[in-house]
This record gives sequence, C-alpha cells and structure tokens, in this order.
Amino acid sequence: MAVPGTFLPPVPILLLLLLCGLGPCLATADGSPGVECVFFNEEYMTCRWGSRETVAANYSLYYWYENRFPVVECKHYLQDQGINVGCHFNRSETIQFLPFRVLLNASLGSRTLEIHSNRMELQDLVKPEAPVNLTIRNVSGNQLQLTWSSPYAKARCLEHSVKYKSNKDTSWTEHRVNGDIFSLPSVDYEKFYTFYVRSKINGYCGSTQLWSEWSVPVVWGNNSTSKGAAEEQLRWFLIHTVLVPIASCLLLLVLVILLVRMERVWVILMPRIPNPIKNFDELFSTHNGNFQEWAGVPKDVVESFKPNYSENICYVSELPPKDSYEPLWEGSNHPPSVTPGSPPAPREHSPYKNSYLGV
Amino acid sequence: MKRTPSPKQSVARDKKAFFRSIFRVLPLLLVLSPVNPSGCAMGNRTAEIRVKYENILSHDIDELVNMSAEYRDRCCKNKKQENSKVFFCNDTQEVGSLQTMACNMLRFFHKQKLGRELRRKAALVSCGTLQVLQCRCERLRKEKVCVQVNTYHREDTETGEQSKKKCNQEFCELKENISSLRSCWNKFEKIISR
Repeated sequence: MAVPGTFLPPVPILLLLLLCGLGPCLATADGSPGVECVFFNEEYMTCRWGSRETVAANYSLYYWYENRFPVVECKHYLQDQGINVGCHFNRSETIQFLPFRVLLNASLGSRTLEIHSNRMELQDLVKPEAPVNLTIRNVSGNQLQLTWSSPYAKARCLEHSVKYKSNKDTSWTEHRVNGDIFSLPSVDYEKFYTFYVRSKINGYCGSTQLWSEWSVPVVWGNNSTSKGAAEEQLRWFLIHTVLVPIASCLLLLVLVILLVRMERVWVILMPRIPNPIKNFDELFSTHNGNFQEWAGVPKDVVESFKPNYSENICYVSELPPKDSYEPLWEGSNHPPSVTPGSPPAPREHSPYKNSYLGV
Repeated sequence: MKRTPSPKQSVARDKKAFFRSIFRVLPLLLVLSPVNPSGCAMGNRTAEIRVKYENILSHDIDELVNMSAEYRDRCCKNKKQENSKVFFCNDTQEVGSLQTMACNMLRFFHKQKLGRELRRKAALVSCGTLQVLQCRCERLRKEKVCVQVNTYHREDTETGEQSKKKCNQEFCELKENISSLRSCWNKFEKIISR
C-alpha cells in the first residue's frame, strides 16, 4: 500500500517539465512524495505541497470524496510569501473511511499543469496529540507504574510507545504498549529516571505510521545525591584516565629532550665516528709527505737502500717480422738505430724507473 | 334496484380484498422493519465481535494485505474495469457492508489467474468475517467455499510465484476489495470501541 498522504511527485520538478514543454498535463504519477496530508488529532487537516523553494506559480487545490460529489475547491489556503503552499481543512470538511482524492492545478503564464492524486482515506492520515498528565506511582516490590491520558477521543484506537532512561544509562529504552499503563519492575532507588510517551492509531482502527510528538517528560528518583556522586565519579574518571596518562607522557617527553640536549650523555649513547686525520696532520704539514722522515727512520737506513753502483740501461727491442730477414740485437750496449746522445724511448715496465735512481 | 351479491361472489370478493390488503401491508412491513442486514445475527455481541476481530481476524487481514502487496499492480493504476463493483462502507450499515464485501470476495476463490495462496487467504478472511458477524450470503453456494478453504491442503507454489509477476484486472479488483474490507473493519471497530 502506498504511504498515505505522500503520493504526488515533486511539484517543482513537474513545473520544470512543463516549462521545458515536456507535457502540460500529467495523469496520476508515481514516484517521490509531493503533497503531504496530515489529519491532526481528527480535528483539522493540512495538505502541503510546497515550501520557500517551490516554483512561483498559481496553485489551486480541488478535492472530492468518491460516491459523494461535487468537486470542491480548497476554502482556506496556506501561503508562504504570497504563494499557495498548502490547504487547511476544517473538521466539517473531512470524512473518514471514504476514498478521498485531490487535484492540484499549477498554472504558470498560459500553461496549466494538473496533478491527480491516488486514492487515500483520512483515517490513515491521523496524527494524534501527544499524551498528557503523565503520572508515576510507586507500587510494592521496587516497581514503578506510569499512567497517562490522551486528548484523542477514542483511546481504544491508540497504541503507545514509552521511552525511558536512568542517569546511569547511555541510551534510551523503548517499549510498545497497547493500554495506557506501563510498569517498570526492579527500579534502583539510587538512580534518576526520565520517561516520555507518544501515541499512534493502532492497526484495528486504521493503517498509519504517524506517531504523535513525545509528551512532556516525567521524572522519578534521587536527583541531588546521585548528581553529586556522578560528578565525583566524573572527576575521578578524568583524573585517572585522562590527566595521569597525559602528565606521564609529558614527563617522558621532557626527559627525552633533556637527554638529547646533554652532549655528554649523547656521546655515550651515540659515539662519534673516529677520524684519524689528526694523527697524520704532522706528516703533511711538517714533513711534506716524507713518511720516512715523519716515521723517524735513521738516515743510514735510508742511505742503505740507495744503490751504490751505476748500471747502464740496456735497451732491448724486438722489431716486427718483415719480408727481409733482419738480425736481432740482444744484450748489446750499442743499439743500431739509436742516435748517440738522444734519450732512450721509455718502456712501460722498466725496473730502473724509480725514485731511488734519481732519474 | 340493488342486486344482492351471491355467496360465491361475496367469497371471491373477500378473497381479492384479503390479498389486496396483504400485498399492501407486506411492502409496508418491509419498509418499516428495522434496518438489519439480511442473514446476519449480530444481536448484542459487539464485545465478542471486537475480541474476535482484534485477536484473530485483524492479523489475517494484515497478512492478506501484505501478501497482495507482493504482486505487481502497475496495470491497476491506469486501467479501470467498467464492470468492477465498488463497495462503500455505508454509515450505520457497517455490518451489511462487511457482509456484502465478504460475500463478493468469495468469488475470487475460483479465479485461476490469481495466485493460489492469495485466493485461499482472501477466502479465509471472507469466511472469517462472515463467521465473526454470523452472516450468510444471499447465494448459499458461496458459503460452500468456506468448507473447501478449511479442508484445503497447501500444494506447490510454482503457479503462485509465476502469477505474482503478471498483473491482471482480477487481481486489481481483489485488491480493491481487500482495501475496502479492511477500511470497513477499521470503521466498525472504531464505532464499537467507544
């Protein structure tokens, strides 16, 4: 079954379609709700189709009951900044248990849009008033009894919902009740309870999901001492679970910072990488790289490594093979092609090319 | 000169007068008799009716409504049968309206185009209504359906599952009936719950 009273498509969207020329006239449309009708405590009814965001157009509403014509225009429009956004029905204009239909006319310039409704019945749109005169009675055996009365005339057609919570609870507990009495067994006298009640037409007299507003609350229990105890508990809770850990963390942080800042301690924890350059500083600055001198090697030892003979350099070369045979010269002190007085060509792996010879 | 009627003529005349008087009185009796649905023995049983409705019948009606909501009803919104009957819950005649609706709903039990479980449930609600109000239908053969419904055994639901996807006008009519019956029971309950 469709949700009662919420059966028309959004009016602004339909008007935009009208402006775009996608159809000046639409039959009964399904989809998202547009006009919402609520029958308040069976005393008066309002049907609303717009708000401030509604497209500025001329709206007119017509209604009729099946089997009871004629079609009647709304006698009392609800307006918002000069635009009709709803219709108010008096009790005399409402009939329950009879199919009720609505036709909304929206005209913009020369074009008119007609929006037809589905069939609905007003008993399914009733929203009763909130219960009143909530009273708590203490019965034997730690049991509380909550009673109330309803401004709605036919109390037997109502079902109720009670929600309650103590000062120690974090969430509300909700119970459905058919009559007008609710019992709460095993209450704690140290706690402080709060109760709310609301009403709805039951399934025997209608088919609606419209609950009334919550009633004015009623309270029971020990308010003052429990309040102080709660504050005391809250204070201890803050100290134990919030302040102490934070203070500990701050202290730790301070110690770490001090530790890092004190170099003596830091050096022990993080020793420096040794740099041997200081030990060899004198070698390069005073002795100019002379290792023997820096090391303190005696002069006679240094001299003993110097050669006390001279030896002529023997140049040995091998000529590449050619067509004509040419004799090779070996171990001769007179190379054939060398000009006297010219320096010999350097060899790669000559054992005599070193600093000891002074060449 | 006046002629005196013979004994035979006078008897015939009396008979005519007798029938004339009967036929005049009878319509008066029918008109003046208190408005009471024919075939319903309500008596002073409002409390009993209310208990039976609240504890048993209302739940069956809710189940029937939920069951019919599972079926596709797209074809019901645009097209309306010209021959479809529309029943209203008339003021001060709620019991009679319920009787009419219940008796009418019984005829859907044999409509093969409808789902088997839906037909059975609708017949159950109709029979329950008639039983609670202690009403009978004008056509006595309709109540034979109630005997069949009580001895009905659940068979495979394959046909029912297939018919849920197909919308037909018989289903639309049945849905209207269900809605009207439920609404009329709400109205009656509200009246007797004062």
